[in-house]
Amino acid sequence: MTDATVAATPALPMRGENDEVQKSSLFRSALLHAVLIALSFIMLYPLLWMFASSFRTNGEIYNNLSIIPETLNPRNYIAGWNALKVSFGTFAWNSLIIAVLTVIGNVMSCSLTAFAFTRLNYRGRHFWFAIMLGTLMMPQHAVLIPQYVMFLKMGWIDTYLPLIVPKFFACDAFFIFLMVQFFRQIPRELDEAAVMDGCGPWRIYFRIILPLSTPVLATAAIFSFIWSWGDFFGPLVFLNETKSYTVQLGLRSFVDSTAISDWVGLFAMSCLALLPVFFVFLFFQRLLIEGIATTGMKR
Amino acid sequence: MGVASAMAPNRKGRWSNELNGYSLLAVWLVGFFVFTFGPTIASIYLSFTDYDLVNAPYWVGMENYVRIATDDPKFRESLHVTFMYVAMSVPLKLLMALAVAMALNKGLKGLTLYRAIFYLPSLLGGSVAIAILWQQFFSTDGIMTYLMRYLGYEGPGWISTPDHALHTLVILSVWQFGSPMIIFLAGLRQIPRDMYEAASIDGASRVRQFFRITLPLLTPVMFFNVVMQTIDAFKAFTPAFIVSNGTGGPVNSTLFYTLYLYQEAFAFLRMGNASALAVILVIIIAVFTAIAFATSKLWVHYDD
Amino acid sequence: MAKLVLDNVFKRFDSTEIIHGVSFDIKPGEFVVFVGPSGCGKSTLLRMIAGLETVSAGNIYLDDERVNDVPPAKRGIAMVFQSYALYPHMTVYGNLAFGLETMRAPKAEIEQRVAKAAKILQIEPLLKRKPKQLSGGQRQRVAIGRAIVREPRVFLFDEPLSNLDAELRVQMRVEIAALHKELGTTMIYVTHDQVEAMTLADRIVVLRAGVVEQIGSPLELYNTPQNKFVAGFIGSPKMNFLDVSVVQSNTGMTTFNLAGTAVTLPVEAAVSAPGMAIGVRPEHIVAGSAGVSLGHMTVNHVEQLGGNAFVYGQLSDGQALTLSLEGQQNIHSGQQIPIGIDPALCHVFDAEGRTLPRRKTDPAHDAAPASAEVLSG
Repeated sequence: MTDATVAATPALPMRGENDEVQKSSLFRSALLHAVLIALSFIMLYPLLWMFASSFRTNGEIYNNLSIIPETLNPRNYIAGWNALKVSFGTFAWNSLIIAVLTVIGNVMSCSLTAFAFTRLNYRGRHFWFAIMLGTLMMPQHAVLIPQYVMFLKMGWIDTYLPLIVPKFFACDAFFIFLMVQFFRQIPRELDEAAVMDGCGPWRIYFRIILPLSTPVLATAAIFSFIWSWGDFFGPLVFLNETKSYTVQLGLRSFVDSTAISDWVGLFAMSCLALLPVFFVFLFFQRLLIEGIATTGMKR
Repeated sequence: MGVASAMAPNRKGRWSNELNGYSLLAVWLVGFFVFTFGPTIASIYLSFTDYDLVNAPYWVGMENYVRIATDDPKFRESLHVTFMYVAMSVPLKLLMALAVAMALNKGLKGLTLYRAIFYLPSLLGGSVAIAILWQQFFSTDGIMTYLMRYLGYEGPGWISTPDHALHTLVILSVWQFGSPMIIFLAGLRQIPRDMYEAASIDGASRVRQFFRITLPLLTPVMFFNVVMQTIDAFKAFTPAFIVSNGTGGPVNSTLFYTLYLYQEAFAFLRMGNASALAVILVIIIAVFTAIAFATSKLWVHYDD
Repeated sequence: MAKLVLDNVFKRFDSTEIIHGVSFDIKPGEFVVFVGPSGCGKSTLLRMIAGLETVSAGNIYLDDERVNDVPPAKRGIAMVFQSYALYPHMTVYGNLAFGLETMRAPKAEIEQRVAKAAKILQIEPLLKRKPKQLSGGQRQRVAIGRAIVREPRVFLFDEPLSNLDAELRVQMRVEIAALHKELGTTMIYVTHDQVEAMTLADRIVVLRAGVVEQIGSPLELYNTPQNKFVAGFIGSPKMNFLDVSVVQSNTGMTTFNLAGTAVTLPVEAAVSAPGMAIGVRPEHIVAGSAGVSLGHMTVNHVEQLGGNAFVYGQLSDGQALTLSLEGQQNIHSGQQIPIGIDPALCHVFDAEGRTLPRRKTDPAHDAAPASAEVLSG
């Protein structure tokens, strides 16, 4: 999966003149590129258009298909930033705190759990592993109401605790699964050598498995960040006070407050909301893509 | 056996494996029981009660389920909308993902760039920002509506048309084909190249190679994608919530099941009824998954 | 130096029994090789000694202490793994020091012990490198070095040379032998390669299907295998086994019918005994009329190795036979050649594959009263 240019489908020149074959395969690949470039344009168009429109006025966006901003005047960004009683900066800060703590919680707890599922043998392991895989399919909505009631009774509503604490208890099975897939590839003899060297399971986890797993830990961290940043449902349920809102909730209140008249302000704030994810994607796309690919593979 | 038994000889005796194992698994076990298993049981219990968060839950037996089954048009509409959404978005998205993965697997230059571009919407697509954008696109004076006029479509934006509102969400879902595409691509990579070479020497045409080699060997990946995408589609919430402003409108045409559940619980504080809806959703997903696994023997090809 | 005793050791995984009651002693400073085909349980046995597998029944004693329940690291044992199992994220120094760090040895002592081991193995220039930057032979040395720094009572080697190419394997074999001389520590070595076993071992333990077939010095196994399995496993090319029937049996002398040739050997066997076989090593058969004649053989194929030659053929009844002859031979396919054998170098096996005991009074290399004649009809 690392070599991006390996072709699985060979173009075998079976018969006919070599030149002709080459010409036709050249033509075919040119055609393919044309199609893919067109598709790329379609895929990116909405994003580019939104970005361009975030510099226009509300009057200018109608029937304007252009994706090239006529000006880079940041007035919409300035107006949008302060459009609500609470500034967008507060939302971003809130989102950041939640996302960072989520990343820490997920990486620590899920790697420990994946370690317990892959590197140790004990009665009941397979049973709990099956249960864990089952929770992969559980919709959040199934447990939402009792969770809400529980957090309400504990006085956690309107705090970030409901969004963060479960992450420290390996509640996101996807990350466990991702790490299990990775840990399984680490040779068993390393653990055995460590046992001969006098290591207990905790020391094997910290000194052998974790240092060897930085790619998957990074992948999990990045996905954690992106998903936490983009999460709408959780904050919608657990946060009520505007000043504790996340970026996603802030955007949504923006929609409510303007009753959709100030599109360009919305677009400006939307672009800001997407920006961290976009940058993370830009720098770590290889890790993300490999991470996604491994979850679908049987090992 | 591995390390597993490696830790066995220990003065603590024959339960030392378990002691080690469960001490490491404890974090997950606590999380599972407190945040998943406990709430699941509580959901089942609450589904047999009337509960408004203020007064104690009042046992009503099957009443919630009976009402949902016999006298709840919104339930039926939300179920219909959700099934329509699943039935349209999953096949379209997967077809798109497979087609593009096949194209990208031809050894073209620039694969990494294409792959990144196609994957980007998958990362962004579920967010509020994109839902807002979609709302503009398909509103009466939105860009898509403007474009469609060239194709002869005259009328209000799709987002405000009961017949088409759901379609905009299907398009949004298909736009995010990148993540299953990457899994398909990884699956295609694992098909050994010499299989195609052998087939070519045997004189198999490209079409035949696709149906006799690519497709069968891709079925495990296909299965994974179908199951995961379907479950995801059942769980979809944010786009419908944003484009309809939390109402599921127009005329309940985007009333996703999860949205209805949310309304019942947090708009009307009918926690008992909402719990019954949650239980039904879990059952639907469980039944679907069970069917998928049961039929997988018929069409999923495993080497071993 | 440590003494190791295995007392009726069993290993079961769930319901399958892998090791069926193995007992033997290993003397202090001895180099013992476990050899056998794959799946014979040799690695499992080693791992039980290491403490990586539990002992299902029986006892393992190390210097008279029962170690069944002692954790691996506390047994004073070091192990070299087949894949080396070097920690990829640590430098060579880190790999060597890790065990000592785990045991919280003082830093100065760690440094001193690592330096000593590195000197013995001549890997001092590699200490700062990561395993990825090492060649196969260097990795092997580091793996051994990791064992040496522990200053163990017993070294365990689990097929340590199987990942090396042929040339390096011979070189490392010599080095391991030299290391044993230098350190004098008890060593246990697992391999499926009988050449490694023969060249390294003070004593060899031959295992098959979880049972010890024979224990002895390399030459004991070669000269007096106790059964057909050991006879066939030790020696290359493999010993020839020729089906024979008993023609006549006197006290201490038995005449066999080998493809129409009568062969008389100093063993006891009943006339009616079925399934008898004579075993002759390829290098003990002579082409020509010397010794006891085994009749004629039709040559099918000849492999000239320069220093010696392998001749493949069959007897008149179709039984296959391999000869290993000294020097370069002028023998060709299709040729009929007379072959003979020194009866003192023959082995006779019964239907169960056990070696029949030789007549006690028989002075091994004396002109044995053995004879052969062509049986008529």
